[in-house]
Amino acid sequence: MEEAELGNEIVEISMQVNGVSVVLRTPANRTLLSILREDLRLTGAKEGCGIGECGACTVLMNGKAVNACMVLAPKADGARITTIEGLGDEARLHPLQEAFVKHGAVQCGFCTPGMILSAKALLDENPNPTRLEIREGISGNLCRCTGYQQIVDAIEEVAARKQGEES
Amino acid sequence: MITNVVGKRIQRIGIQQKVTGKTKFAADLDIPGALTLRVYRSPVAHGIVRKIDTKKAEAIEGVVRIFTAKDIPGKNLYGIINRDQTVLADSKVRFIGDPIALIAAENEKSAEQALKALEIEIEELPAVFDPLEALKPDAPRIHEKGNLLFTRKIKRGDVEKGFSASDIILEETYETNMLEHAYIEPESGIAYREKEGRITILVTTQNPHADQAQLAAILGIGPENVRVIQTETGGGFGGKLDMSVQPFLALAAYYLDRPVRMTYSREESFQATAKRHPLKIRMKTGATREGKLMAVNAEIIADTGAYGSYGIAVATRAAVHATGPYEVPNVAIESKAVYTNNNWSGAMRGFGVPQIAVAHESQMDKLADSLGLDPISIRMANAFKVGSVTPTGQTLRASVGIRETLKKIRPYYEKFSREIQETQHPLPQGVKLGVGVASMWYGIGNTGHPNPSSAQVEIDETGKITLLTGAADIGQGSDTVLLQIAAEVLGVGTEEILLVRADTGLTTDAGATSASRQTYISGRAVYEAATKAKEALLKKAAEIFNAPSSLIVCDGGYFYPQYREYQKIPFGEVAKRAVQADGVIRGEGTFNPETSSLDPETGQGIPYTTYAFATQVSLVRVDSVTGQVSVIRAASAHDVGKAVNPSNVEGQIFSGVAMGIGMGLFEQFFPNKTKSFDTYLIPTALDVPEVTPIIVEDPEPTGPFGAKGVGEPALIPTAPAILNAIHQATGRWVNRLPADLETIRGLVPPEEK
Repeated sequence: MEEAELGNEIVEISMQVNGVSVVLRTPANRTLLSILREDLRLTGAKEGCGIGECGACTVLMNGKAVNACMVLAPKADGARITTIEGLGDEARLHPLQEAFVKHGAVQCGFCTPGMILSAKALLDENPNPTRLEIREGISGNLCRCTGYQQIVDAIEEVAARKQGEES
Repeated sequence: MITNVVGKRIQRIGIQQKVTGKTKFAADLDIPGALTLRVYRSPVAHGIVRKIDTKKAEAIEGVVRIFTAKDIPGKNLYGIINRDQTVLADSKVRFIGDPIALIAAENEKSAEQALKALEIEIEELPAVFDPLEALKPDAPRIHEKGNLLFTRKIKRGDVEKGFSASDIILEETYETNMLEHAYIEPESGIAYREKEGRITILVTTQNPHADQAQLAAILGIGPENVRVIQTETGGGFGGKLDMSVQPFLALAAYYLDRPVRMTYSREESFQATAKRHPLKIRMKTGATREGKLMAVNAEIIADTGAYGSYGIAVATRAAVHATGPYEVPNVAIESKAVYTNNNWSGAMRGFGVPQIAVAHESQMDKLADSLGLDPISIRMANAFKVGSVTPTGQTLRASVGIRETLKKIRPYYEKFSREIQETQHPLPQGVKLGVGVASMWYGIGNTGHPNPSSAQVEIDETGKITLLTGAADIGQGSDTVLLQIAAEVLGVGTEEILLVRADTGLTTDAGATSASRQTYISGRAVYEAATKAKEALLKKAAEIFNAPSSLIVCDGGYFYPQYREYQKIPFGEVAKRAVQADGVIRGEGTFNPETSSLDPETGQGIPYTTYAFATQVSLVRVDSVTGQVSVIRAASAHDVGKAVNPSNVEGQIFSGVAMGIGMGLFEQFFPNKTKSFDTYLIPTALDVPEVTPIIVEDPEPTGPFGAKGVGEPALIPTAPAILNAIHQATGRWVNRLPADLETIRGLVPPEEK
């Protein structure tokens, strides 16, 4: 296990975070989540459990959805990271954000950033998922408020719209 | 009634910030120089703290101070209904996780080291974990007054006569599971002392004004010296009604001239906060051969764990709702809340009603099964209607939509039944399908207690409207609904109203976000406040138009005399003139629905002004070989009085079905064993079916635009509908939750698989 051998020695890592180059020196046993939240003040990724079970800390690493609480700093070296802050803002929402708003796919909102990023990773890989595939794609993201249905509706609409644009 | 804003699917307030990650929850707040707090918790379930030596821990670099019970300036005793819980143990600890000492440190690492360096000696006492054992005379005594916290009795008619007149009598026992709320946001907050000395706490909570009162008592200062500001709250489900980090933050901020912060890990959140009361229920039901209910007799034991929390409310609600939404002339219920050394149980979505519904709805299906009736017909034969008398002797005057929910569910019951018959392919071995129905009723607001709310609507000389409410939106959407109500009254859009919410420094008490009460009670208070503000403007408009104010229309952001819309004057202009003449307009609204306390011997009284009703049907697939039960489809019909925001109501219904699937099929919290989401599984998107939400609107005359509530009702029928479907599939009843893999595998004998 590479991680197990990593201690708190200082490592230098460089990442592209939301398109911005970031170089920082940090103890090697810190997680990507704590670097994002504490050092870069990107608090959109949440800590819900710290053991990779709830998905609230989901970010995109080289386009794939990962639990940032499970990624140790050296693993992120050289990676492209997208957090919810890099997806869109209120002036220009990403289509997924827009669809979540439209379908009321948000209640407390704590799981929302991770949920949207998992949805993005899913659609990037499978632009035309069935509802079951959508459910599979977000099954690593726990939500206690919504019952998921409006979330599935929102993701389905974006997929359909993408299909429409391409055909 | 024609409405422009109420009843519309308007965007949830703050949703843009939520989807862009800008929303700040307590753990996201930046507070430079804040100290970290950690709690030392009891490793034993029952004991006496004999010694606390903090010297070694205090010597650790970065440790600022360690607090124990002797540091608490006011009363070291709190609790939302009965005060029996210590902030830091003064002598006894009563469950694994009871707080003993509080560490304030410069950083996480120092706090962690201090936790390990504390020298604490506890003399262990015998512990008791089963409420029936705890009631025995020789059981370890957990609290001085004994282990029986509370008994609620309800007596109406004569149950013996009722059973004599019955053709069929069923007596069964049921057991429900201990559950964790599992909101995704762990408890978190920050606190600091303001220059003038006031302690300010920003915290995730469902109950800011109650927090303020309790914290003031703990600190021994006036409530005006404590300010609680609710931060954006990542779900609550009742679990954030009791205080969590609040007393620790307040205590540290009281002594230290530094801001402090505290966030529970998931493990601490699981260990230290309330659970759903597990209930043991014995229920005896008598009916005629036509299926008419004659008598219900029940004994209920609720395990409230180490502390009372909302135990009294849970025992009471379980008793009050024990018959289900049906006319029963003869009722005798006894419901007890009992202390044990388990994790303490408190409020969780439904306060005992989801548990008792498992019993009354299983009884209904057992009766139907024995009498050859279909599940909807037997419910329809007994369902409340206007004029029905409840077990507490209350006559239902209006808004009794239970029959309509049954009517709306029947086509889905038939459709799902047809789907089973039409399933072409032979199912895999051991797999069977079944349809199950369950209904529920739920009283809105506190049970037999006053539960007032208040709100203000202010309008300044620029026409700016501000709504002030103490109601905590914890994700369910009360901000949006309350704004819709105010906007509807004032004839403007919600975006034209500034909302100030849940800050004890700025808003007045709206009561807790619990008991599905905010839309109904705070909604009505907002309605009253907006109406009063509007009246002041109408008076001014009447002067301007020289017409009686009863003929002035306030709509679409304008005032005009009836039939003379061409004369319309903008809202802001009328406001400006009114404020110039009379000063800032401030409409005060209050509402306290009529209740009366329940008689201690008979339980007779008016527990609530109004009730929500619902019926749900589920199509399930039972694999008796693997034990897996999947809910394939569900439809759920809810009488909400009026859906102020249908999207929000539907969101609650989807949510309730999901949570009910967890409760029905796999969630179970084991004290001192369940630590996190790796062992406490909650439903994922794959565990939840496509749900058809059906909104029934039987208006409640005292509600704002007829509205009641739906937050808890959404959950209640789910688990019993699943159990009834499992019976239809397998011919076997499950009387104990959850119906997990092991239960289902053991349910069907091998020769039938």
